[in-house]
Amino acid sequence: MKKMIAMLLTGAMVLSLTACGNSPSGSASAESSSQSGDDASEDAGAEESAPAESSNPVTLNVTTTFAGEDTNAQNYQDAIAAWQDETGNKINDASGSSSETFKARVISDFEMGSEPDVLFYFNGVDSNPFVEAGKVVSIDEIRQTYPDYATNMKDGMMGASPVDGKNYSVPVNGYWEGLFVNKAACEAAGVEIPTADTTWDEFMDICQKIKDAGYTPIAASFAEIPHYWFEFCIYNYLTPATHNILPESADDEHGQAWVNGIGDMKTLYEKGFLPENTLSATDGETFQLFIDGKAAFLIDGSWKVGGIEGATDDVDNFTVTYVPGKGSRKSTDIIGGLSSGWYITKKAWDDPEKQKTCVEFISYMTSDEMVSKFASVSATALNNGTQVDKSQLSSLAVAGLDMVAGATGMAGAVQDQVTQEARVPVFNGMPDIVTGKADIKEAVEELLKLVAEGQQ
Amino acid sequence: MVISMSSNIYKNKKPIIFFLVPAFAFLVIFLYYPFLQNILNSFKVINNLGSSAKGWNEPWYTNYVELCKDENIRAALVNTLKMIAATIIGQLGIAIMLALMVDNISKGQKFFRTVYFFPIVIAATALGLLFNLVFLYDKGMLNQLRELFGAAKLIDFKDNKYAMLTMMIPVTWQYVGFYFIILITGLNNISDDLYEAATIDGASRLQRVRYISLPLLHNVICTCGVLAVTGALKVFDLPWIMFPKGMPSNSTWLTGTYMYYHAFESHNVDYSSAISVLIVILGVITAKIVNTIFREKDY
Repeated sequence: MKKMIAMLLTGAMVLSLTACGNSPSGSASAESSSQSGDDASEDAGAEESAPAESSNPVTLNVTTTFAGEDTNAQNYQDAIAAWQDETGNKINDASGSSSETFKARVISDFEMGSEPDVLFYFNGVDSNPFVEAGKVVSIDEIRQTYPDYATNMKDGMMGASPVDGKNYSVPVNGYWEGLFVNKAACEAAGVEIPTADTTWDEFMDICQKIKDAGYTPIAASFAEIPHYWFEFCIYNYLTPATHNILPESADDEHGQAWVNGIGDMKTLYEKGFLPENTLSATDGETFQLFIDGKAAFLIDGSWKVGGIEGATDDVDNFTVTYVPGKGSRKSTDIIGGLSSGWYITKKAWDDPEKQKTCVEFISYMTSDEMVSKFASVSATALNNGTQVDKSQLSSLAVAGLDMVAGATGMAGAVQDQVTQEARVPVFNGMPDIVTGKADIKEAVEELLKLVAEGQQ
Repeated sequence: MVISMSSNIYKNKKPIIFFLVPAFAFLVIFLYYPFLQNILNSFKVINNLGSSAKGWNEPWYTNYVELCKDENIRAALVNTLKMIAATIIGQLGIAIMLALMVDNISKGQKFFRTVYFFPIVIAATALGLLFNLVFLYDKGMLNQLRELFGAAKLIDFKDNKYAMLTMMIPVTWQYVGFYFIILITGLNNISDDLYEAATIDGASRLQRVRYISLPLLHNVICTCGVLAVTGALKVFDLPWIMFPKGMPSNSTWLTGTYMYYHAFESHNVDYSSAISVLIVILGVITAKIVNTIFREKDY
């Protein structure tokens, strides 16, 4: 009897192991569902290895960041469902929340040769590995065969690759960065809300008055997220045309702008315009100060509109305006851009069954109507701009749209050209820099050295 | 007949090997092979998670030279040692005291067992958020209490001065219940006859603890000691939630958090691999030392 039980158990175990080893096929491949784990990439890989049997319908393996808590996750699901119904083609979706694990999965898929056919992914340094490896097709190459491809977009705003300056991806929704204002805090401190005409020096006076009134002028964690202030402070010494040029050394014109800009961040700290615990607080803590009306200003991106709407019952108490500028930067010169876009992989491009379908799918996903739906208040590269119904938006979102509409210049965030590893001396070292324990110039030189090493 | 069948099953070892092989293969594929690969990775240039190496470092031992120079690694090692000390004194010490006290009460033992064990079942991330609110600078629980008692100035419990203490308190608190349960089970296994005999002989309550409970609990305490020290080497989640990126000013790094930071935040994957090799070496050495100190006795 015991022998029988032992044999049965052995058999059950062998069967379960065999079942674990089987890759899902058939029914799973045609499903269109958003997955966030590595299973998704395995599915995509399995599907990719299967030869295309017929020209119609075509199954595309698609990976995007429209998943999880992404505000466009549902829009994306609706869009691909409609496209599948319209065309009869299938989407094998392996989207995942944008995280380091997701990025690692995408890079690793390219390395292993199991990349998707179509990819919605970042166009900054994160895309360098597969652009350098020639695993995605440039817009120029696609237009040689499909001349109308992405012609509804401004080429100059598509988000060229840092590798060779060519456009590889068609963007959908971008971002802008601006100065969010808690109106009640400004009113209580008896100061006017900064406008397009407010200069940096006037802004410093406003901050001083807010501080004297017992409020924190600026909500920022220099320990965790000094990124936004870094961007605008160095922008103050540059222009929209020159902001995105990486310095070659701390002594050249751009390097000097970086040193001066970081010097201004140190001044903000020394003047006491930041929360008392800015060097030990998290970004979440300082954001709460802003929401609670204890801090007046916050620099953040367009994605924060939704964050503020969700964190307060009185969204009309908040607005967004230009970050006051100085020197050659006008206050109306903003930071913004389109940091992600749709790629067609070389593997899919070389597959005659899939090439046309990939182009059709991306054209559908980047039509004026679809981009307007996805972008809402954020920036786009559309020639005709977005078609947004302002009556459906909050006053804060409308203020964001107005700010972008009135911008005189826009530059992308220069830090997007700097790898995470290279950012360490300045971004992580910010507490030491503002307290004078580390030298600004040395920190910038260290950053540039790491950038140079990464490019080798 | 039944006896002969049973003996046959136990004599035939083949099924046992069959059951052992999958687990062994699983360990080889998912532990030993990645570990060996990790050692190789520590000598290579890897700038992205998921991407293959760009080649060998020049010289190949660059990361290990960097480890020797890195001030943050020094801070991480010192902090990890502090964490081990806090674990032994805090977790184990408090657990022994609580166990002895609860063992000496006749009513409510079950209640205290549940109460002290409860923190174990709460996720570390939830605890991290909870203690973030307790230690929050602006209107955190502690600062509000201080204000109630007339304090005029807020204390930043997360600044350089208090950061390590603020980190160690919740970590210690979380696992006290775990060791408490192990120890109280050990105490329950001690025969009541011994205590009765000691009482008849005139032993005081303290003497019973000193000469009966603690000696008979020695092996259990040793096991707890090994678990506590090795646990302290691995602690990661709660410190990372409360003090991400070694905040403030790189003063709260632990070996685990620093390795994670380089792998997932700064994308210096090869250096992260070198740190993980260091952690393994540290773990082996510490385990040896702890096993020597907490050597179990045969009675």
